[in-house]
Amino acid sequence: MAAVKVNELHKEDLPWIIEYDESKCIQCGKCTAVCSFGAISPCVEMRKKSGNINEKNQYEKVLVVKQNVGFENHCVGCGMCANVCPNGAIKAVRNLDDRYAIRYRAEKGESLKRGGRSNLNTEGRTLDKIKIGRISQMTDPSLDPVRHTFEIRAPFGRVLSADKLGFDVSGNQIIQTKSLPPNRWIYPIIFGDMSIGAISSRMWEAIAIATAYLNEKMGIPIRMGTGEGGIPVNLLKSRYLKYMILQIASGHFGWNRIIETMPEMVEDPAGILIKIGQGAKPGDGGLLMANKVSQYVQEIRGVPKADLMSPPTHQGLYSIEESVQKMFLSMNAAFNFRVPVAIKVAASVTSVSVYNNLLRDPYNIVGGFFIDGFAGGTGAAHEISLNHTGHPITSKVRDCYLAAVHQGRQGEIPLFAGGGLGQTGSFAADAFKLICLGANGVFTGRLLLQIAGCCGNDTEKCNACSTGNCPAGLTSQKACLTKRLDIDKVAENLVNFIVATDMELKKLMGPVGCSTLPVGRSDALITVDRHIAQRLDIQYSI
Amino acid sequence: MERIETLNNGNRMSTQELLQLIQSKIDAGCTEFEINACGQHNIGGSSWAKDRNKDLKFLLRNPGQRVGAMGMKGTSILVEGSVPADTGWLNSGAEIIVKGDSGDTTAHCAASGEIYIGGRVGTRSGALMKHDPKFKIPEFWVLKNTGSFSFEFMGGGIAIVCGYDCDGLKSVLGERSCGGMVGGTIYVRGKVENIATCVEISTLDANDIEFLRSGMKRFLEKIGRAELYNELTNFKEWHKIQTVAAAKKERMSIAEFREKEWIAGGIFGDFITDDYAVYELAGTGDARCRFPEWNKELCIGCDICVKNCPQKAISENYVVDDEKCIGCGICSALCPRQAWKMVENNKEITK
Repeated sequence: MAAVKVNELHKEDLPWIIEYDESKCIQCGKCTAVCSFGAISPCVEMRKKSGNINEKNQYEKVLVVKQNVGFENHCVGCGMCANVCPNGAIKAVRNLDDRYAIRYRAEKGESLKRGGRSNLNTEGRTLDKIKIGRISQMTDPSLDPVRHTFEIRAPFGRVLSADKLGFDVSGNQIIQTKSLPPNRWIYPIIFGDMSIGAISSRMWEAIAIATAYLNEKMGIPIRMGTGEGGIPVNLLKSRYLKYMILQIASGHFGWNRIIETMPEMVEDPAGILIKIGQGAKPGDGGLLMANKVSQYVQEIRGVPKADLMSPPTHQGLYSIEESVQKMFLSMNAAFNFRVPVAIKVAASVTSVSVYNNLLRDPYNIVGGFFIDGFAGGTGAAHEISLNHTGHPITSKVRDCYLAAVHQGRQGEIPLFAGGGLGQTGSFAADAFKLICLGANGVFTGRLLLQIAGCCGNDTEKCNACSTGNCPAGLTSQKACLTKRLDIDKVAENLVNFIVATDMELKKLMGPVGCSTLPVGRSDALITVDRHIAQRLDIQYSI
Repeated sequence: MERIETLNNGNRMSTQELLQLIQSKIDAGCTEFEINACGQHNIGGSSWAKDRNKDLKFLLRNPGQRVGAMGMKGTSILVEGSVPADTGWLNSGAEIIVKGDSGDTTAHCAASGEIYIGGRVGTRSGALMKHDPKFKIPEFWVLKNTGSFSFEFMGGGIAIVCGYDCDGLKSVLGERSCGGMVGGTIYVRGKVENIATCVEISTLDANDIEFLRSGMKRFLEKIGRAELYNELTNFKEWHKIQTVAAAKKERMSIAEFREKEWIAGGIFGDFITDDYAVYELAGTGDARCRFPEWNKELCIGCDICVKNCPQKAISENYVVDDEKCIGCGICSALCPRQAWKMVENNKEITK
């Protein structure tokens, strides 16, 4: 038997311990077969035979399931072994005394990386402490979702104030004297920004299919943010491009194909999103680990199989003014000023300054401000970023909205909020509350994976998106895992979820008495938390 | 017969004065009234005789809202012209006849009795009609059309909309009627558009036709339009609206959408070939996370692997049947000479 030394990684160090009940096990091999991490293996144990100690052959060999101990193949608690075991003989149990993170850093000299969201929820969620408290009771009728027409729409694109619209009267006719910036009225929920490579081909396509289906079969004009991992030419050439918001981030991946395909496009894209940062890892660029950079990801991004670390900033940008000049102007020019261009930043104490600067927008080319909060998800990030950097979304949306209100310019550059929405169950409630605080719409990415069958959570379960071993096939490029995913079922679940959310939004709009989205209607909100009431300027109720 | 004038020398009788006057006359034994009203509300409904065998009759001109509201069995009300909103609200058994039009929410919450309207009715008419089986089923007849949102939340009873004089109307039930309807039947003649998804429109059966044939005669006589009988009894022009058992509407499956309307070959078609088949967990063949590889040099032919393979996937010659093997690694674990090695399946989806 091998010697055991203190300064090795031990089972007791790991975040999850496999609990295995030999008496229930029928040795069918399913648990070890299904484990995409190789965290458990069949193994022969030497056991002492009971009975006579003088017997010559005192030992016997027994086949058991053993937990592997290693930095590359430790259990992440995904629970697939328990899912396939016919007898309930095996499960992963959280190890409250785990020392893995310390051991990892000490052994590797590297920062810990993972996917998911922040696992440190020290403050509780502000949105959960807010309720919709302004209910139409005799002041005005509550609206009935069955009877009323609800206009659940958000503007995407620059909105000009009436005095800048550029209309004149000529004879008996109103004529347009200046061209108007492009603006599209879209569903206030955007499927957000998960790149090709970060998620599997099937997951990415399932979101695209759900987007098209919701538009064409359900009358819900939802849009999908593509993320920046390149866009397949098949999609660029299709009529479905009109539902896609193309992203350009600091890696500029795949833009050569987009540019090349422009003459063949039959539709304009829904919009362009310039990604400066994201809530899960603010101040950090995109990250895609080499084991997810499969052949087609290499082609589409124009890179070899390597860890892809995008720079934390667009290499050519040094100021807000320059970003407006260079990025906004160029992206507007790319489609001859027909396609709205928005920008996405990680929420920060500086968000209001950025928004104020953008509001000056002398060229009328800033078509939206996306703020991504602290609790946003990612396919890969340094855990230190996930858990310790960023800014909650709620107060930042409010601050930006009020900053615009103080200039009388609210709504001119639509605000979109994201980051941890739907985390505690109700996406519609989170969306509605943020809209009441001033957002025109919301975006979500991580939630889509959960709808699709993600087995992880925000308390350190799985979060292995970065490894390429996603047991649900959501964030893996391996064929054996990607093909676990039922593309039709995923798309159907996404469609159903949005249909349900749409009804739930109406169930919140109805009691407030609004048939259009109550953007900035903070009088609809109350909270039992005095600090939240004070900070967000909403009614304190007890 | 008691005649009541409600406007005397320019002085209008209030609703309260009129209703209290009517009740005192009833208490004194009067059962028939002819009232020249002046917009007073609630006439005829909540008045009743202590002797419940005595029927009450009202002939009304120019009444206000809620004619016959809360009407009881044994009461019959005839209105010469048109009336404003809420006629027959909460009707519990009265017969109410309006020769002209009736305003919004006519027959709202009617639970018994008969309401006959010789013209059009306004928005939300017939909403929340219901039927308590211990009482006579409510009937609500309309010669022409209803306003939008009618029959919302209807739970029982029968409504008949004859669609007379409705040329040029897109829908004789207005827009989005029947929202939240859970029971009852609406017979309708003429075009119906943009109706709630919780109901379905079907053709009449023999019982429906029998009901309409006899009822129509009675209705037209009540409103004095017997000459329309033939025109309104061409039952090919009629339909029936009832709730659908399963409110969920059929929609195209995602699989069908993907196959028929989505980008042929898929978004990634120029990079990879994906048949979209779904692997089961702990599946065989390419679904395996790892494959066993046999090293002939190390094997001593003990057959422990062959005997213990849970899938019986290893032949006597140590050939693995990929269609049976799930890649569990038991062969590798048990082999006394490490002749089986598990190799990671890192294959990507390719063309």
